[in-house]
Amino acid sequence: MGTIKAVFTYTFREHVRHKVWLSSALFGLVLIMGGMIVSALAAEERGRILLDLGLAANETIALISIVFLTVHLILQEIETRAVFLILTHPVVRWHYLLGRFLGTLAAVSVGLAAMGIIHWGLLHALGWGGEGSYLVAWLCSFGKVAVMGALALLLSLALTSEAAAMSFSSFFWILGHFTGEIRFVAEKSGSPLMRSVLLAFLNIAPDFAHFDYRNAWHIGTIDPHWALAATAYAVAYAGACFILSVQVFEQKEF
Amino acid sequence: MTAPALRFRNVGKIYRRSHLGRLTETVGLTGLDLDVEQGEVFGLLGLNGSGKTTAIKLLMGLHLPTTGDIEVLGKRVPNVDVLARIGYAPEAAYLNRSLTGREHLRLFAALSRVPAQGREAKVSGMMAQVGLAHALDKRLSEYSKGMLQRASLAQALIHDPELVVLDEPVTGLDPLAIKEVRTLILWLKGKGKTVLFSSHDISEVEKVCDRIGILSGGRLAKTMTQSQWRQKPDTLENVFAATVKRTDGVGEIRLD
Repeated sequence: MGTIKAVFTYTFREHVRHKVWLSSALFGLVLIMGGMIVSALAAEERGRILLDLGLAANETIALISIVFLTVHLILQEIETRAVFLILTHPVVRWHYLLGRFLGTLAAVSVGLAAMGIIHWGLLHALGWGGEGSYLVAWLCSFGKVAVMGALALLLSLALTSEAAAMSFSSFFWILGHFTGEIRFVAEKSGSPLMRSVLLAFLNIAPDFAHFDYRNAWHIGTIDPHWALAATAYAVAYAGACFILSVQVFEQKEF
Repeated sequence: MTAPALRFRNVGKIYRRSHLGRLTETVGLTGLDLDVEQGEVFGLLGLNGSGKTTAIKLLMGLHLPTTGDIEVLGKRVPNVDVLARIGYAPEAAYLNRSLTGREHLRLFAALSRVPAQGREAKVSGMMAQVGLAHALDKRLSEYSKGMLQRASLAQALIHDPELVVLDEPVTGLDPLAIKEVRTLILWLKGKGKTVLFSSHDISEVEKVCDRIGILSGGRLAKTMTQSQWRQKPDTLENVFAATVKRTDGVGEIRLD
């Protein structure tokens, strides 16, 4: 536990010093600029458009941040050989990996929270009153960030190339938003080969449909089964990616 | 009779690399048999590519041996717990430059299982001991090369290890810093620590080692005790030159 905490602390501090918080400033800028344009184009729908625009921007920036940071997380320490020194101390490798991952997740979550507060404040100033709904949307974004972070970590360790890991992470990220459509195409496909390929991708790619908060918003209440299923999915997917990452990392020689 | 601090038994390491389906093998170390006794200062001498760093990485658990066994302080490695009793400083200071001197040492103290109570005092004390008390709260990115080397030494010694492993500790240092490293090694010996270090620098090895081992082409070609090289000047240098052979693919400089 002490090792995980020590690695978590230095990872979090490292990200803060590398100015991860700049993403929040960027988000604020996007939101203000977007809000100004939108208010000029659609004065009556300003609140709703600002809500959608803000949530989408919030999530996109957080996802870009987590993929970028996680892909570099271990590979950069291998390149600078800082990992040499860490692993020549009594450190179990999975403790190191978990500390690094959680430290990064925490840094991105702080950015996500900061962006959420800016956004919520702006919406509140415009008279929007759906505080509880906003929290649900925020938690869904966090779930996606955790899943993508774990996947990017696995890809970076398995592929050992930052460019390749970044490309594959982006590919799976996009794929994860279209699982319903891919399933439909796979079912309708006449070619067994195509069906197999699509189903294989479906089983590997994250399914972001689990984090679709629009239904909950539409109904007006949170279905506890949906919330539980989304949480279980995030934990299971991120956990599976992390276990595989540990398996790959255990085999590495430095 | 106490068990040796360090024991290599028939240790071999072959690096295998695969590129486009073609497998290449490089021999890092072959059949290494070596004991380093407790309280001894042992120097590993050899040219580039002779296997010095490979031997050190194997004992630190960064590499796994292809053949043979390694025992450190009575435990077979790789063993995470035994690492708490070893201090290791690599040839270059591979430190996270975004941290301050204090944060860096606090991290390694925590990783080396230094108890939380009294850790802060130990961190400040160790930084003062390596002459960096004035730079405690400076970021490592602002440190000079010499300061980084000292910060690296500090992390190796913060947990008061029984065995200290120094990989090329004097490479690239100025004469004053070299003298300080020499003094440090002798101070560690005085405290009863076992010191293993690798070097190209024969004159340094002569001054501090009780015993040396000459590695050549991944093999332990010769071991000598201090009494054997102290009898005549230049003995160690002559033995070294006669023992090693170049494996880095370059020829001799011709003077004709």
